[in-house]
Amino acid sequence: MSRRCFVRSLAMVSCQDPLTEAWAEEPRSFDTGYVRAAEPDTRGLILPSEARRMSRILKRAVATSLTALNTSGIEHPDAIITGTGMGCIENSEKFLIDLSKFGESCLKPTLFMQSTHNTISSLIAIILKCHGYNNTYSHKGISFESALLDAWIQIRGGMLRNALVGSHDEVTPFLALVMDRTHPDYSMISETSVSSMLTCSESADNRCEITDVRILNRPDIGEVAALLSKDEDDLLILGTNGNRLNDALYDELLGKLDFAPRTMGYKHLFGENFSSPAAAFVMGATMLGKGEAARVTIINHSDGSAWSVVRLKAVTPCGS
Amino acid sequence: MKVYVTGSGIVSALGAGCEATLDSLLNERPGIGRVRHLATEHVEFPVGEVPLSNAEMASTLGVGYPESGLRTVLLGIMAGREAIVSARLSRSDIREAAFISGTTVGGMDRTEQFFKSAFDSNSESEDSTELRFNDCGCSTELIADRLGRFRMVTTSSTACSSAANAIILGANLIKAGVTDIVVAGGSEALTRFHLNGFNTLMILDRERCRPFDRDRAGINLGEGAAYIVLESEESMKRRGMTPLAELSGYANTCDAFHQTASSENGEGAYRAMREAMDMARLTPADISYVNAHGTGTPNNDETELAAMERIWTHGLPPFSSTKSLTGHTTSASGAIESVISLLAMSHGFLPVNRGWKTPIQQGAVPVHQSGTKCNIKHIINNSFGFGGNDSSLIFSAVNKTAGSDAANFNETDS
Repeated sequence: MSRRCFVRSLAMVSCQDPLTEAWAEEPRSFDTGYVRAAEPDTRGLILPSEARRMSRILKRAVATSLTALNTSGIEHPDAIITGTGMGCIENSEKFLIDLSKFGESCLKPTLFMQSTHNTISSLIAIILKCHGYNNTYSHKGISFESALLDAWIQIRGGMLRNALVGSHDEVTPFLALVMDRTHPDYSMISETSVSSMLTCSESADNRCEITDVRILNRPDIGEVAALLSKDEDDLLILGTNGNRLNDALYDELLGKLDFAPRTMGYKHLFGENFSSPAAAFVMGATMLGKGEAARVTIINHSDGSAWSVVRLKAVTPCGS
Repeated sequence: MKVYVTGSGIVSALGAGCEATLDSLLNERPGIGRVRHLATEHVEFPVGEVPLSNAEMASTLGVGYPESGLRTVLLGIMAGREAIVSARLSRSDIREAAFISGTTVGGMDRTEQFFKSAFDSNSESEDSTELRFNDCGCSTELIADRLGRFRMVTTSSTACSSAANAIILGANLIKAGVTDIVVAGGSEALTRFHLNGFNTLMILDRERCRPFDRDRAGINLGEGAAYIVLESEESMKRRGMTPLAELSGYANTCDAFHQTASSENGEGAYRAMREAMDMARLTPADISYVNAHGTGTPNNDETELAAMERIWTHGLPPFSSTKSLTGHTTSASGAIESVISLLAMSHGFLPVNRGWKTPIQQGAVPVHQSGTKCNIKHIINNSFGFGGNDSSLIFSAVNKTAGSDAANFNETDS
């Protein structure tokens, strides 16, 4: 018999106010093409001497991870699973620039040591002294969903009791320039760090349940539409961004449905990067918590080739 | 629920394909030598390069831009095609299957060329659309698209254990009923980025690497790709396939000690091997051979041995590091060494740990004599990455009762 998988806690750093859900009441709005994340206050979470040695993405990942863990009531995660489309790009970029500038000598080991994608997941494991399952996925705009799928099947299969699942992407000015030139389908580019404690345990503190996680490679739009139904999919959160080149596929999907679900976007609030679907996940859990829907279905595509469908369901609060 | 291996493909410094690899292994012909294809100043470090240029691979595979400029992609397509042919996967089988690939450098070879030319020409006119295909996910997608239209594609990236973790996700997807067939492994080309990165850590050997030798002095980097086809029992029977082996156990653990060094008692490595044996319901005495991570660095080999000695308290099983033949193929190593392990199992021999002379400590003697025959029942294959990402896989021989099955077995293998 399959177990259930709940979202116990969430923490996010983005272009909205960090580590709060103030965006749900009073969202900031932006009119530029590239907005960096609002940095979290890491005092009380990371020693200043340690924070100085960490790149932006590492500080944000540690801040969201520790916040999600501290508010979960779970002391020690069974697993740490991370998504990151570009990894520690700031350090990689610096190492590449040094390599071009100084040639193949006089390079700094620290930049290389903190340039691999799994630096994030292993740093969290080192801080938490967590010897359990530790994995990192780096696959464009479905990096978060890949981490989520891994945790979801292991929690449902009884291999894990809980997991700290996150997705983190920083966007340097150079990367923003490259994204702008290579992706005419984007609109506002920003940065995302999200961490979440998932658990198999029922509790009044659970924020919602994850009932489905799917990753699809080059599906026919009809295949995606066939997954959706009037009874299961009340509210769709879509990766629309107001840009026709990106939104056309979502329009095509909606056109193939034989019902008219409510839909909403999230990229106008959180911007775009490979980890931005994790912001939609936070938004979905928040909508369910506020009772604005009984079920939320999050649908994203990355370049039209990689698609993801994540289904969340409200948990009935105790006593009601 | 059991997960079987029904196909494999490989390209490394030992050659392209299982047959060439087997030949190099049996004749102890290492692929490590002076750098030929990578444009680096560091010619003092021996490397395990795939003996083909990008142009040669692109022409053999019949691919053009952008694949032709991305070595990780070319290597991946080459190994992936062999795996699919050996498992006899049809177009419709692939349509229902998942492709999980491990990589860390992805298209870094192209990215570093971009940075170099932009810097040398001192201008911003370099076409940055060149960078579009260079992240890990794009590199996996370019490989996948040349193999068929998979139902699901994703990329694991845990440095040197990436491919092992791709195989672990693949097995878990089958057990969860998400899919019946997974092509899993990894691909990684040599780049100046990581050659120089390892050099800043001062863990590259200027001589041929000597894993598990008292006087070892570091890594020879290598490159390559390998994939195995994982399949549920039901699907395997339905397709009339005979398994190469069963993936009977696996574990992913974290040393949680340091970003680039292992803990003294090899805690992560110990847990990975121990938990994999628990899943396979095996005891240490059941293990016929350990294909060790064995990078040749003082730290890895000492701590891996410490972990092994915690498990095998009355003497170690036969073990060796085939990185002495292929070089350290980083993100691809878990898959490359899985295929080498499967070849050793089906042909009944123990791969040699080349260059070994003196034990690190008493009793720690790796397989060092050529042509050692062995009836291998269960193999542990270790892959340990930066950040203490430690994974172990166990492949078990499948009992072949009927004579016709044995014939099939040999046929699919070669």
